[in-house]
Amino acid sequence: MAKIIVVTSGKGGVGKTTSAAAIATGLALRGNKTVVIDFDVGLRNLDLIMGCERRVVYDLVNVIQGEAGLNQALIRDKRVDNLHILPASQTRDKDALTSEGVEKILDTLGKDFDYILCDSPAGIERGAQLAMYYADEAIVVTNPEVSSVRDSDRILGLLASKTRRAERGEDPVKEHLLITRYNASRVDHGDMLNLEDIREILAIDLIGLIPESEAVLRASNQGVPVTHDDDSDAGQAYMDTVSRLLGEEVPLRFHELQKKSLLSRMFGGGRR
Amino acid sequence: MSLKVDRAGMAFTFKGGMLPMTVMELASADPEQIREQLSGKLSQSPAFFQHTPVVLSVEKLDEPHLALERICAVCRTHKLLPVAVRGGADPVKQSAWALGLGWFPPSDGARTRSLEEVPPVEVPATSAPEAAASVASGGRIYRGTVRSGQQVSAPDGDLVVIGAVNAGAEVLAAGSIHVYGALRGRALAGIHGDTDAGIFCRELRAELLSVAGNYKRLEDIDPHLLGSSVQVALRDAQLGITTLD
Repeated sequence: MAKIIVVTSGKGGVGKTTSAAAIATGLALRGNKTVVIDFDVGLRNLDLIMGCERRVVYDLVNVIQGEAGLNQALIRDKRVDNLHILPASQTRDKDALTSEGVEKILDTLGKDFDYILCDSPAGIERGAQLAMYYADEAIVVTNPEVSSVRDSDRILGLLASKTRRAERGEDPVKEHLLITRYNASRVDHGDMLNLEDIREILAIDLIGLIPESEAVLRASNQGVPVTHDDDSDAGQAYMDTVSRLLGEEVPLRFHELQKKSLLSRMFGGGRR
Repeated sequence: MSLKVDRAGMAFTFKGGMLPMTVMELASADPEQIREQLSGKLSQSPAFFQHTPVVLSVEKLDEPHLALERICAVCRTHKLLPVAVRGGADPVKQSAWALGLGWFPPSDGARTRSLEEVPPVEVPATSAPEAAASVASGGRIYRGTVRSGQQVSAPDGDLVVIGAVNAGAEVLAAGSIHVYGALRGRALAGIHGDTDAGIFCRELRAELLSVAGNYKRLEDIDPHLLGSSVQVALRDAQLGITTLD
């Protein structure tokens, strides 16, 4: 059976879809058969980030309502063989999702894939709850700011109560903290919460820290997940995250302010 | 304590149950005197008077005839719901039945304790499903972080949280609240009016502190106390916060 991982946050705009795309790509690059599902029905974005928006014919809602088969709706990634995308519908709303329909899709996908990533919509309503309901693990995406941390805290509460594992009294959903848009220099100035504050409040394991990076914006706009940009700090940080998800021990990077060396200051180089 | 009679098609089943119940031990049979005291209590802790069911105990009274109807009326106007009478002579029993109230024989004395300050009243516990063990006193121990949006309550006693209470979370107890971690959310102790209840925490960041209805918002708390390990108690109807270190 595949491992079902939900990428969630509560708050919008923190980088859920970017992270889901980047981690799915990383898992596939490491040889795992991976599918990433966009649960944001009505505000579909994952296809853009994955660069497959022109190839969407059928979507999640079509499959749930029996208008298309799962294989017709799955889009194979152009860059990585093992990676598939199941897009959301842009014209419907989240009420079109049914719990039974989602379960059936996850069961079917579970037979063929190693990892199923569920890209959750923002909020704590139906769409977000369905995205997390069947999860085995959760990646909670948090920005270093108070509102994001509080919303993540709320989501962690829901993960502990509103999931199938919680309702059946099974082992709880394994929770991972992914901090994105971390800017070490702004943290140093006190503009952003620091890593330790966030970890202390949320009290869960840190799986990755993604530095704020121009590479992320560039990747989003080009429709190429940032994991492919292995020269960039964000790309490397996502690959570290994937390694940790696969159970490897990788030291944390990019969380400390790096003093620019004299040479890089002279030549205007630095981090991309 | 339930009698297992689950058969399909039955309209109901009888079940034995132990419910926490407030006993109102009457020391006076004078409805006016009762009214006076109730009015004072109502302003002190309005949270307690929510159509709370009470048993009127007349064991301490040595009067064969009671103005039971008037006493009940006084209780109802103060949002207490008399459901039964305990003790008293035969005429008391008869008038209780006439008023549609139940009648209990006098207690044997061993189990009665004064609940003047801590009336345990049944409050539905809206709790998170995480590990929670009840302790002998009717209190509750909660292990783990109480997260934003969660509410953990101990309706019959003290609440002990082994972990933090995060911003947007709420912890409530009939007795005292102990937080072995940071208290960033709302803490309400003595929700049934226990003015002796207190709040204790390792790191004070609370959005709201309340003991028996007397509260302080984060804004009202002396900034010097924030982050320190403190105890909160009522002194002369004022919430006092003192450091523990």
